[in-house]
Amino acid sequence: MEACHRSDATTVAQARTEALVVEYQTKLARYVRRMVGDAEVALDLTQDVFMSAYRMLQADPNRELTAGWLYRAATNAAISFIRRRKILRVLPLDREIDRSTWRVDERSASSVDLQAALARLPVEQSAALLLTSYVGYSSSEAAAMLGTTSDAVRQRVCRAMRVLRSVMKEGMGE
Amino acid sequence: MIVCTDCSQAQLLAGAIALGEAGDAERDAYRAHVAGCGRCLLDLGGEREIERVIAVVARARDQERWEPDLRTALVRRRRIRVGWAVSAVLAAVVLVVSLRVTERPNPAVSPAHAITAQEARALAALDTQTVSRPQGRAESLVVGATTVSASFEMSVDARGIPVRCAITKSSGDRSLDQSVCNAAMRSHYAQPSTRNH
Repeated sequence: MEACHRSDATTVAQARTEALVVEYQTKLARYVRRMVGDAEVALDLTQDVFMSAYRMLQADPNRELTAGWLYRAATNAAISFIRRRKILRVLPLDREIDRSTWRVDERSASSVDLQAALARLPVEQSAALLLTSYVGYSSSEAAAMLGTTSDAVRQRVCRAMRVLRSVMKEGMGE
Repeated sequence: MIVCTDCSQAQLLAGAIALGEAGDAERDAYRAHVAGCGRCLLDLGGEREIERVIAVVARARDQERWEPDLRTALVRRRRIRVGWAVSAVLAAVVLVVSLRVTERPNPAVSPAHAITAQEARALAALDTQTVSRPQGRAESLVVGATTVSASFEMSVDARGIPVRCAITKSSGDRSLDQSVCNAAMRSHYAQPSTRNH
């Protein structure tokens, strides 16, 4: 009886997670790749997000899981990854990490400029810029995800934009 | 009335303009500020400039060509970090593998070939979730919504080391068959029969 109930929950959780994967994997992974600058890492982190979604749904198959939940989880995962990486980069022997960092394959001017700017930005500013202009959330929605105010998001967007602008100027050879 | 704004307020306004969240009053206030503040004008630019810069983000997004596929990525990843169940959720087919092991008549070896956690882990590396049914020596490898089944026969030598894996009933996908065999070979290899003595 008990076992039967549990496997039902698992089936529901699997089906729901799979639907989430189908709908969001591309968008979410692309967002994370912009955050961390690396496709392999982005795939890993995105998988982790879906894995935690799965675990939550397994515990409560009726729980509502929105796109916002996924983006929040992905943002947190990316931020903590970047912080960890920063610590590693302080260690003198770890050159590997530097080499694999900030690599996004698209070579259009916009894409390169954006990634170059993101590489220079503090992670909170990257998240604010991407959640709004890249993903499409409003400043107040992004603020809720980042645990801050919408004014703070606007200010971070402004600072991020300033860096992006100077990257664009450098690109123009100014 | 023109609201007097300082530079940090101007930044909030610039952010709001960038996000398309600024109304007329905010735009007026920003214009008034940069009209009198050369530093902000230089630093942030006028409204047009803000819109030109922020447009780069959406353009970069629209030009993305990367089509990640978590389902295939999993296979690669699990080789490095074998984990449970993840894959089950993410992949597309249900694969039911019934496992039959042909052994040489050496009773001391046979316990090594029961469905074990070792084996299940190796099969999990295949992108699958395993549900062991030890008695039937069959496993359901749950990978998604469709059901595909494959059977294979494994030959092992006297030491319990696999020498040959043959598909007796194809799943319909050759690479899937191959992966099943590979995992089975690996799992047996990882568990030498000597451990059971």
